[in-house]
Amino acid sequence: MMRAVPLHQPDRAAAGLEAVFLDNRAVLLAFLRAHGAGEAAEDVLQDLWLRVIAAPPGPVAQPLSYLYRAANNLMLDRYRSARQAARRDHDWSETRPEAQAATGERALIARDQIEAVRRALTALGPRTEAIFRRHRLDGVAQRDLASEFGVSLSTVEADLRKAYAALIALRRSFDDA
Amino acid sequence: MTEDPTLHDEALDWIIRQRDPAFDAWPEFAAWLGADPARAEVYQAMADADRDLPAMLPAAPRPQAVPARRVGRRAWLGGAVAASLVAAGSYSFLSLRPEPYEVATAAGQTRLLVLVDGTRIDMNGATRLRLDRNDERFVELVDGEAVFTVVHNEARPFEMRVGGATLLDVGTVFNVKRHKGATDVAVAEGEVIFNPQTENIRLPGGRWLRTVDKETRLVIGEIEPGVIGAWRTGRLVYPGTPLELVAQDLSRNLGMTIEAAPAVAGRRFRGVISFGRDRQGAVARLGPLLGVQVRGAGDRWLLTDEDG
Repeated sequence: MMRAVPLHQPDRAAAGLEAVFLDNRAVLLAFLRAHGAGEAAEDVLQDLWLRVIAAPPGPVAQPLSYLYRAANNLMLDRYRSARQAARRDHDWSETRPEAQAATGERALIARDQIEAVRRALTALGPRTEAIFRRHRLDGVAQRDLASEFGVSLSTVEADLRKAYAALIALRRSFDDA
Repeated sequence: MTEDPTLHDEALDWIIRQRDPAFDAWPEFAAWLGADPARAEVYQAMADADRDLPAMLPAAPRPQAVPARRVGRRAWLGGAVAASLVAAGSYSFLSLRPEPYEVATAAGQTRLLVLVDGTRIDMNGATRLRLDRNDERFVELVDGEAVFTVVHNEARPFEMRVGGATLLDVGTVFNVKRHKGATDVAVAEGEVIFNPQTENIRLPGGRWLRTVDKETRLVIGEIEPGVIGAWRTGRLVYPGTPLELVAQDLSRNLGMTIEAAPAVAGRRFRGVISFGRDRQGAVARLGPLLGVQVRGAGDRWLLTDEDG
């Protein structure tokens, strides 16, 4: 009962996050398993814990959502590393030192691919492109976009679906090229 | 990509909903994910692609800023030493012919320039900047490395040139490096736009870009903003960098010629190299730190894997 840390005190926020982690350990582990972590689930959970205790002090509005999101990101990091390792194994054309970038995480984009992105955005039409940018780059919530653009929520949903589908498919086609 | 269209659409909906900062339906998402192993696979592939979208999207079209070619006074502060002031008086529009000149540092030396608008340029060693006495908006990094701390002015955005590319700041701290035909830009704060007239790539804080002359590929990635320009405090931070590039940085920062032998040039180093005033001591520590043999003397060193 000494561990009942009030969450609303900003200076106790990090401790609050730790408490929420400990209370929801099983739930988070199940989430990692659902994500396909398999036998590595405990390791990933440990990784998550290290991030929790290293988190900068400060209030976290929705601690459990924060933890889920962090766990989700860790799984996407794992996905990325596994893919990159697989690609390195059969792509030795990129091993020239000057073509190697100076960091771990990276995305390779060619100039003609940037042109393809530009064409895809134009093809969406100006409103859909603008709504998509506000959502993906500025993090504006859907209902706020509806009032900002003077359209219905279902229009915003349809626009976003169209835009995300097109750009995600385009990004994936670059990998297959 | 032969994915079940329903599964594809469901995954897409989750990805879009999760973009909402207030998204809290994680238990429902976990239940959806756990119901079929194929779901995690499709979701991860799509969400992974989604993560790259901000790096891929060209900047929104900007209203063309009217080039305000008002020439003001410009002051230079050289390093920590007394201010060496070069005040270019006021010129009329008629006399605005380019009057380029260069400011350079030797390897191992640093220098701080402060422009009249408060913009700071921290020059690393072995660095050459080209400026224009009649155009205070003109800065070109010819070679070397510098951190730009730009005081943003909406009416007169700061533009700099490097290796044939243009960088437009949108209120920024960024590091630029140019050496042997390669250009590296790393943004610590604010936003830089790479080549606004052509590629028009947004680089917000925490993003870096690397381009090599005559190659069509650009590389864009993520970087911890806190380590950008760490050379200013005697630290070089590497997340997994070929020793060839580490050696170039060491040469510039320590004022010595340090090269990586072909056998180790492609080896990657992950870690931090700290250096203070004791340059020879820094070289002596390199071997164990980088896992190589360090051969040479005085100001010329070779990183190699051969025993002496």
